[in-house]
Amino acid sequence: MISASLFLISTSAEESLLPVLIAAPVGVMLLSVLFGGRAAERIALAFMPIGVVLSAALAFVVWRNNQPLVYFIGGWAPPLGVAIRADGFSSVMLVTTALVISAAGLFARGDFGMTKDRTESRAHFGFWTLLLAIWAALDCVFVGWDFFSIYVALEMLTFAAVPLVCLKGQRETFIAAMRYLLFALLGSAFYLLGATLIYAAYGALDIGVLAQKLRSEPATWVALAAMTAGLLAKTALFPLHLWLPPAHAGAAPPASAILSALVVKGSFFVIVRLWLDLAPPQMGEAPAQILAVMGAAAVFAGSIIALRQERLKLMIAYSTVAQIGYLFLMFPLVVGQHAWSGAAWTGGALQAISHAFAKAAMFLSAGLIADILGHDRISGFRGLGRIAPQSVFIFALAGLSLMGLPPSGGFNAKWLLLAASVQSGQWVWALVMVIGGLLTAGYVYRVIAPALDPIEKPPFDAHPRAWRRRSAFALTLALAAILLGFAPPEFTNLLMVGAPTAKLERAE
Amino acid sequence: MSADAFPFLATFAFGPESLAAAVTLPLIFLVACASPRFRKFGPIYLALAPIPALAASVLASDSAPLVLDQMIYPIVLVLDPPGALLLGVSALLWLSAGIYAAAYMREEFENGGFTGFWLATLIGNVGVFMAADVGSFYLFFAMVSLPAYGLLLTRSAAQDGSGGLYVAIALLGEAFLILAFAMLTSAAEDRSLLISDGVAALPASPWRDATIVLLIAGFGTKIGILPFHIWMPSTYRSAPIPAAAVLSGGAVNAGVIGLLRFIPWSQEIPVWGHALVTLGMFAAFYGVAIGLTQRNTKTILAYSSVSQMGLVAATLGAGLAVGNANAATGAALYAAHHGLAKGGLFLAAGVIAGCGSLRMRRLIPFAGLLALSLAGLPITGGAIAKLAIKEPLGSGLIGVLSNLSVIATTLLMLHFLWRVAETAEPHSETPGVGLIGPWLGVIAGSISIPTIYFFVIENQTVGKLDVYMLWETLWPVLIGALLYIATWRWGDRLPITPEGDVVVMVRPAAKLLSGACELIERPEFILRRWPVAGVALLVVATMLAGAGLLKP
Repeated sequence: MISASLFLISTSAEESLLPVLIAAPVGVMLLSVLFGGRAAERIALAFMPIGVVLSAALAFVVWRNNQPLVYFIGGWAPPLGVAIRADGFSSVMLVTTALVISAAGLFARGDFGMTKDRTESRAHFGFWTLLLAIWAALDCVFVGWDFFSIYVALEMLTFAAVPLVCLKGQRETFIAAMRYLLFALLGSAFYLLGATLIYAAYGALDIGVLAQKLRSEPATWVALAAMTAGLLAKTALFPLHLWLPPAHAGAAPPASAILSALVVKGSFFVIVRLWLDLAPPQMGEAPAQILAVMGAAAVFAGSIIALRQERLKLMIAYSTVAQIGYLFLMFPLVVGQHAWSGAAWTGGALQAISHAFAKAAMFLSAGLIADILGHDRISGFRGLGRIAPQSVFIFALAGLSLMGLPPSGGFNAKWLLLAASVQSGQWVWALVMVIGGLLTAGYVYRVIAPALDPIEKPPFDAHPRAWRRRSAFALTLALAAILLGFAPPEFTNLLMVGAPTAKLERAE
Repeated sequence: MSADAFPFLATFAFGPESLAAAVTLPLIFLVACASPRFRKFGPIYLALAPIPALAASVLASDSAPLVLDQMIYPIVLVLDPPGALLLGVSALLWLSAGIYAAAYMREEFENGGFTGFWLATLIGNVGVFMAADVGSFYLFFAMVSLPAYGLLLTRSAAQDGSGGLYVAIALLGEAFLILAFAMLTSAAEDRSLLISDGVAALPASPWRDATIVLLIAGFGTKIGILPFHIWMPSTYRSAPIPAAAVLSGGAVNAGVIGLLRFIPWSQEIPVWGHALVTLGMFAAFYGVAIGLTQRNTKTILAYSSVSQMGLVAATLGAGLAVGNANAATGAALYAAHHGLAKGGLFLAAGVIAGCGSLRMRRLIPFAGLLALSLAGLPITGGAIAKLAIKEPLGSGLIGVLSNLSVIATTLLMLHFLWRVAETAEPHSETPGVGLIGPWLGVIAGSISIPTIYFFVIENQTVGKLDVYMLWETLWPVLIGALLYIATWRWGDRLPITPEGDVVVMVRPAAKLLSGACELIERPEFILRRWPVAGVALLVVATMLAGAGLLKP
């Protein structure tokens, strides 16, 4: 039914999907600022189904047309005007954003929901408004096709994400938020410097226009390096991760879920644009190796430090440091339009999505566990499985995807990247992935093993019924990560629409 | 086992459907366990779930494949004769052990945990024999390995942390295999995911040796090739009896079918053939030697598995060295018989431990039949199994060693019988029919299935089983028995080796590793300081710019 009616979307409606997709969350966010307080939650909840449908419709159109959707704002084409564009990767990221924010938002009603007896507070108002702001900012990043719009979107993302860290208002979360803010701003400065240099050298900021003109000259290299370094600071790729663990571990669970699953992917996405969409392959090769080396270091350091954490949320935060590392292994495998580039591209994109679902589910399950126990010390988890089997189950499912075991999106991603690294003869990355998977299994095991301990009487109370519904949202996210392992071939086709490797695939 | 052998079965053209049912029915039960309303039927699920697999092993051998290609990775399920044989014996064992479990550990069925882990392992075990593509094989192999961890955590299991070692080795195996599979499919034509395509391209693959080593190591973790056997003794001992039975008799054959499917047996690859023979023959004697020093009945059986799987590996290796594909079918039959006999022996250990000494005397001959069947006593299924691997092993040094290993196995099995008889208590209730019934079923299967398979499916003639052949299989057993009687009184003087033998080396290694992790963690505090992070940012930017600027 739905697909049948979507086939009727006319060309003009198709084109207007893109601006609507950006304008809608921005407008709704402004509404929630305007009405404030109690209305903010209702407005955000009401927008969720609309946002999901909009992004799904866009993904459908991109898949059906089998080419990227482009819209010129005000009808002016670049270099005069500004273009926004959705290819396969961006439309899948848009759908992921909509789903993860919706699930985390519905989950968050327990923490930030308004009930009749609650008085309005800054945290309640702030959470829902910031949620919409992050949504709007991420949508702008994923469809941005020129470096200035992307800059604005990234700033909006940072300014919406930082307050989410310290909504609880405790001293240490303020410190964590300040670290995050300062380092992200430093990153912004680098990015802006690079973008300015690009504009000075080429007189254009549109990615499509620049891709035609880009030359390997000192100004270009300095500009791209500065932009990349700035973006890496915002992505928290090792060793630039100083802000991430305290920020992601200190926030409220639904906020942590969104920060870890989505926000860091925003700046990662722009790095993909820079080195795979914009830079020609011969320019991208050396930087791709550097990025992957940093990624490998992140996989090892992040996983090993996660193994040694005493608190669950810090462990999950360090797991994010490691999983971000995996994302960067795709660069040397995609770059250069080889026979294996397509597999690596799909694998990298799939890794970004399945990590988003799995990590969000993991943070939410950590929230459920902390609610039951009143703490999140791993040493106190003995017998947890008897009291909160559902939370442990969600954690295990999410862990399965992070480890890269089948059936899960994480497995498919790892498989594609592994195959690409074998075929390209770049063995190192295959070993990094496999050893990283073992280390991941190690820290997931540290939680699961004591939780499954069949002790007679666990030292805490039973799972309250009120948590049933909340855990259903976390479970949905975990199942999404698993279901990605059963994705149809059309899903790969969608990811390949407008991909930097697509030209080659078509030629074959 | 096959529609060809029993023409009337051909009228049931349910091949692909029965393959689907073999996986689907346990899956439905598994989902049902999530609901408190349905999980109370756990014992019924355990008894019903393996039945479609048992039916498939008869109906679907060599039938059309089941193809599901709606996913990125299409799933292809098909059953060849060795797969059907192993599937059949595994399903029979799962069925018997499931009925046994329902009577043996009633209290485990309160929450869905035990039933869930049992069914998940069952799905993996059933699926692994049918998977014809790399993706679903990996999935089923992971399922037969990892959920079994939950079976080690039940209340009737010994809570001694042995599950950790089990999971660690299982994950290591998965890591080896995913690398091997990535290489296998990368070398295949069109990057085909079908196992047969990958194996066909393997001899010419640029990564042939690395692939074979990783395959042997990966499946070696499952069948306990040295030194990956360290998990077996502690796992089998601490697992509840029915779980130990299905792990030792069913799950272990996932490793065997893996080797059968993924190594090109008709090719001549002497290097790896000789390596397998050496490893396998060493394990065949090593397992017996360490097993004789053990007191716990389940540990003794675990070491017997190390030894028997060594023999399977040696058979395969002998075949690979000369490109004799008969080795694969022989090894399949041997492994199938071993699965039933070993599973039956675990059930026997449980039955006898729970009965009075009078009753024990009546039951011990049955246990003895199973035990000596492993050594190849004539008229048992074991004699057929020995016959099947005789030709591939040859009559040279390897053949002599395999005869010597029969003597060793006889010693170990008599040691087991003695120890198991000691576990009977003078004033204990008699075990119910719920325990003895399924056990007798396994015994009957262990004799009949290899016989039927050998004579009907493989079309071997009875003529092969003349008096000379009887004597051939009998004398090593007799020598073993005499040797046992002669040395019986020294049995208690043997030193006791730690369970899992070389596992004692794991602990210092783990400590070393954890020290190394601490070393890695320490600089983290430095990296997270502001000045350091700021400098790191500059360095990253400089490196990226330098990568382009310094390029010639």
